[in-house]
Amino acid sequence: MSDSLLVQGVQALKALGLNYAFMLDDMERQAFVRGLGVTLQLCLLTIPGSLAVGVLLAALLASGRAWLAAPARAVVEVTRNTPTLVQLYCAFLVLNMLITQQLRDWGAGPNPLTPFIWVVIVVSLHKGVFHAEALRAGIESVPQATLEAARSLGFSRRQLLARVQLPLAVRFALPSLVNNLVDLVKMTAVASAIAVGDVTYQSIMIWSQRDNVLELLLLILLWFGLLTGLVSLAGRWLEQRMRMPGYGQ
Amino acid sequence: MANDAALPAIAPPWRFGLARSPWLLAGLASLALLAFWSATGTTPQAVALLWKWLPALLRGLWVNIEISVLAVALGTIVGLVVGALLLSPAALVRRIARLYVQAFRNVPLLVLIYFTTYVFPFEVQLWQWRFPFPDWLKVVLGLALPTSANVAEIFRGAIQSIPSAQWEAAQSLAFRRRQVLRLIVLPQCLRRMLPPWMNLYASITMSTSLASLVGVHDVVDMAQIASNTVVRTDFTILVYFTLLALFFAYCYPIARATRALERRHERH
Repeated sequence: MSDSLLVQGVQALKALGLNYAFMLDDMERQAFVRGLGVTLQLCLLTIPGSLAVGVLLAALLASGRAWLAAPARAVVEVTRNTPTLVQLYCAFLVLNMLITQQLRDWGAGPNPLTPFIWVVIVVSLHKGVFHAEALRAGIESVPQATLEAARSLGFSRRQLLARVQLPLAVRFALPSLVNNLVDLVKMTAVASAIAVGDVTYQSIMIWSQRDNVLELLLLILLWFGLLTGLVSLAGRWLEQRMRMPGYGQ
Repeated sequence: MANDAALPAIAPPWRFGLARSPWLLAGLASLALLAFWSATGTTPQAVALLWKWLPALLRGLWVNIEISVLAVALGTIVGLVVGALLLSPAALVRRIARLYVQAFRNVPLLVLIYFTTYVFPFEVQLWQWRFPFPDWLKVVLGLALPTSANVAEIFRGAIQSIPSAQWEAAQSLAFRRRQVLRLIVLPQCLRRMLPPWMNLYASITMSTSLASLVGVHDVVDMAQIASNTVVRTDFTILVYFTLLALFFAYCYPIARATRALERRHERH
């Protein structure tokens, strides 16, 4: 029954001049759906990964110790000012090659790091840097008077951080964190450059056979629109939930 | 106060600050190393090969820079128009402009570049003349679209950041709407737009690396050609990290200048 629905849908769209015939081919439809899943997986892994990297880097930057902050600063500057694609090549083509060679020399078997894992690592690191900057700005925008008041109430340094500084900093940073996550979802498209079978890659495979670029692009846009929409919806929900009277709006 | 005493240590005079910059020191150190190698004739093979390939890499980087300048120039012109439409008094015009901005801000850049490369024809026919429509131009268009959407948002934000009291004050001084815009609002807007616009330029420059994926001979493509031609592990490592360094050398000064501008605006 669902098959006939699909056939009808494809025919209806054909009347509009859109060629979605690939949907009727089992192999191609399954490949495309797999691609949708891979993009979703990439997002689900890179979102927590990048947040973890961001928190770590922000902690280093705000630690107040030069020997921790300076390397973190350098990582931030290099990552912000170089293209993700080049970082991905440096990681996948260079580091991955070195690891493979080293493992072969040791006789330790094949390299366990797949292109998929490299994309997760690189995108997490790349966006983590932007999270770190947002969090640092959030920490800095906690008013001095609030900190002094807390100190005068006898909060220890750790309590100050956990009870006053971080809760406020996260609230201040939340809008730019959500912005970064929306960017991150879009950035996962770069995975197609090293042949991870995400939705962009699978679409290229299909449209090089069928020459239906526009039709597939509409589907890609819908999928990315859905994912970014979900992320910004979740962000708005969190902002509402964590809203504190008297701070911000 | 403790804060005041700590201030000179945080903000040293700028010339010492520059001399202590880790980037400058790293650059000087590597120059010294190169000089030592060439003086003693012990230059490693990979470095010698890189030296041979460097002109080709720089030519590739020039392609990236051309694409980024053209894309941002085109995107800025269109973006200012769209930004003005976002503020139009007509609701329908506003909604259409909003849709345009939303659409092109939410599309992955890579997908847009694939779109413009594969959908547009390879040549355009105008009356009896045929104009070639090369891939690099398609990438320019692919990057100009999101640029225009972002510029529109920057422009709208800048105009709306001017306090409405200024409009009212100017109107009470008998300025016309056009005069208020030209003499009071726009000069302030330009200053506020500059830092985010420079950020946008840097990010578009970095995105030009995606052009290599649709077959434009840019610096990334050149690095791959070099690496595949030479086939030496140490050269491959060197050439890819040089690629990283080239982009960094171009984009980092822009980021520094942006931050300096932002800081100056904070004070005023």
